[in-house]
This record gives sequence, structure tokens and C-alpha cells, in this order.
Amino acid sequence: MNKFEQFPDYQVPGVQHHDFSPYESNGGSIVAIAGEDFAVIAADTRLSSGYNIHTRTQNKLFKLSENSVLGSTGCWSDTLSLTGLLKVRMQMYEHTHLKVMSTDALAQMLSITMYNRRFFPYYVSNILAGVDKDGKGVVYSYDPIGHCERATYRAGGTAGPLLQPVLDNQIGYKNQNLSQDELPKLSIDRAVAVAFDTFISAAERDIYTGDSVIINIITKDEIKSQELPLRKD
Amino acid sequence: MFLTRSEYDRGVNTFSPEGRLFQVEYAIEAIKLGSTAIGISTSEGVVLAVEKRITSSLMVPSTVEKIVEVDKHIGCATSGLMADARTLIERARVECQNHWFVYNERMSIESCAQAVSTLAIQFGDSSDGDGGAAAMSRPFGVAILFAGVEDGKPQLWHMDPSGTYVRHSAKAIGSGCEGAQQNLKDKYTPEISLSDAIDLALDTLKQVMEEKLNSTSVEVMTMTPQKEFYMFTKEEVEEHINKLA
Repeated sequence: MNKFEQFPDYQVPGVQHHDFSPYESNGGSIVAIAGEDFAVIAADTRLSSGYNIHTRTQNKLFKLSENSVLGSTGCWSDTLSLTGLLKVRMQMYEHTHLKVMSTDALAQMLSITMYNRRFFPYYVSNILAGVDKDGKGVVYSYDPIGHCERATYRAGGTAGPLLQPVLDNQIGYKNQNLSQDELPKLSIDRAVAVAFDTFISAAERDIYTGDSVIINIITKDEIKSQELPLRKD
Repeated sequence: MFLTRSEYDRGVNTFSPEGRLFQVEYAIEAIKLGSTAIGISTSEGVVLAVEKRITSSLMVPSTVEKIVEVDKHIGCATSGLMADARTLIERARVECQNHWFVYNERMSIESCAQAVSTLAIQFGDSSDGDGGAAAMSRPFGVAILFAGVEDGKPQLWHMDPSGTYVRHSAKAIGSGCEGAQQNLKDKYTPEISLSDAIDLALDTLKQVMEEKLNSTSVEVMTMTPQKEFYMFTKEEVEEHINKLA
């Protein structure tokens, strides 16, 4: 490795070297929960950079079709670029195949689209929620290079590691020694309540999560939206 | 009629003053030299039956492949230039696999036909500016029948060298297509069972074929929601042929 610094003759005082750093974390968290015939997905509305807050009112949920919503956080410019590309590809799919893309097809396409940028990835934490062809609730989670996993509940973003154990306990009933038939059936109301509660907790500890939380409730007939204020500090 | 075509039947990308592309029309004529292929769509499934021309007793009949699998849910019968057919079938297979890879779902039959038709009309010289050669210098001399199952429902599509693709209830292509199509028109009903459709297809082939109808001179395939692409064995073909007599 021959670096410039290795040749003292050429060193000039005051020279500054800049590393190429195209990424930025703008914070934000997502929680998605799938039920039998619905899915809910929630994201906070704070957009920040370091100790600065850019806005307190940024919706991070993208309605991509009548039955799927993508939650995307991380580098906000990458989120905008990626969701823009997805909308274009979904429109092209509709034109060539004469049908609306299913949530499952969208999930796979998102994975492929992200993996196409394997060596200069979109710096985003994505969670896709929706209902499949049979009206069943589904949640797909992704890593920044496009690994896709189907789940029943998932937390992502800056408070993801904080929230996932809460969901494991409240939605997955992990380590409670309950047999399969003892598990209570998840209702929309409880999924919404748990999602809101997790964000109240996240806003308490994560400085990148707060201001308010927007939740989308997806069923095969409609997508409803609700908003709840959070701590603003 | 042929005399008036003198100047305008050479270039593949030149319209005649009457607005015709003669090379494409000649390609459609080329299909009529090919062996007959018949497709019938029923509510239970689609049947494809083709005539195999065994021109010499020294030929190995099983190496003449006129019905091929494109994906589990799509099968094709071809008539015309077999080498051209291979190129189009290859595209159909690639497109189906790519669709599965990108969308994790089966390609629709119409989209598959659309993808193949895109290749079928990519003839002509390379005037695209990037210096690349055109995919093909002349129209493909092939007609294709696509038999498929989509959302549990059978479909039959037909594509010709002009790239036009249309869905049919029953369709015949190749040398005996005129007589065969008329016979299908007379005997087809939307309520026909798959078994009756197989018999109708074989009976129609029998009427238009020059050679004798037997298990080596025909290929039969069914596309059903249960078994999907299913190629008949020699014994199964014989069973149906014996029923005809």
C-alpha cells in the first residue's frame, strides 16, 4: 500500500484528506404486525441527523398498492430513491402484465432491486406489510442488501433492537411456556395498541424516534391510517 | 398477384404501397408447409396434439420434438421451421424463469406470449444506432400454440410470425390447418370434456394427415390444473387412437 503520507518529500502542511462518505442515518423506527386477515405497520415521523431534527412530521410509510405498505427508514435520500424506483417498476409491471402486483411479488422484486446494489447498497431498513392474494396478513423484513424474510411481526430502524423483544413477548408470546392452542388470536385492536405502546417506549430511550407515530391498518378492503403524538424531546 | 410484389417483397422493413409487409406474409405461408398442430382448450385443461413427420424409417422418431415444456404451467406446440422454433422457445423459457426469479410467481400465459412476440418482431437491419446486430435478419417462420394454466384455469394462445397473439378455444396450425380448423369449428363446444377433446384433436389430425395416424406419428400433451404439463406415453396415445377406430 503506497499512501501519499509515506513520501515525506511530498507532504504539505495543512492538507486535508476527505473520505468518501455518501451515507447518512436520518433515524426512525418501524413496527409491523401481521394478523389472520390484516396487517398493521407503524413508523414514527421524526427525521433527524445527529443532534439535529430536520422535521417532526415526515411520514415514512409508503402505500405502494391497495394491499401493501412499505415502511422505510435509514438514509432518507436512499429511501426516496428506492421507493421512487419501486413505484416506476410497479407501474411497468401493471402495464406489461395487465394486473396489480401482489404483495408477495412486490416482496421478491424489492429483494432483487436491493441486491442489484450489492456493492453500493441503499442504506435503508425496510419492512413491507400487506395482505396476500387470499387476504391473509403478511410482513416481510429486509436487510440493506436485500435479504428478505417473511415474518408475522417485526421491528426495524434505529429502535428496532429495542422494540423486537417487546414484540417477541407481547405478540409472539415467547418463553411463556404456552402451547400452540393456548395462544390467543390476535385482533386488530390489540395489534394497533401494541404497536402504539412500543413507540411510546422507543421514544423514551431512542433520540431518533419520537414526535408522533403513524399507523396503517391494511385489510383486503381498505387501508386505514391513525396518528398518535409521542414525546418531542 | 405475385407479379405486383416484384419490388416490395425483398426488404423486411419496407411496406408495399398497399401497406403490406410481404416477407412477414411469406413467413406466414411458410407455416403452412409445416406439420399440423392442434390445440383445444376445455374447462378441465388444454390438449395439444401434433403430427410428427417421420420422413425416413432410419430416423429416430423420439428426436423430433414438437411439443415442449416452457415452465411447469406452460407448454408449447410449434409448426414451421424447427430451428426458429427453438430460438423462440428458449426465449419463452428464459422469460418465465426470469419472471419467477424477480417476482416469485408464475408468469401469465399472455405475458409469455407477449415476451416471445417481442423477439418475433425483432427482425430487420440494425438501425438502432449502437452498431449491434439485429436479433434476426428475417421473420421467424414459426407459429406457436401456448397451452397453460393460470389461477387454476386453462388457457390456449396462438402466435404467428407477425408477432400477433390471440387467445383461442381451439386452434389448428400447419399444413392441414384449414381443414382442421373447420373441423374444430364444427365439433367444438365449450362444454367438451378433456377426454373428448383429446379424441377430437386426434380425429382431426387423422383427417388432415397424409401419413397413417399412430403412436409414433403423433405427440399428445395435456395441460391441466392437477398434473400441469403432461406428455402422453406411446401406450396412452395408442389407447386414444384405438378408441377412434
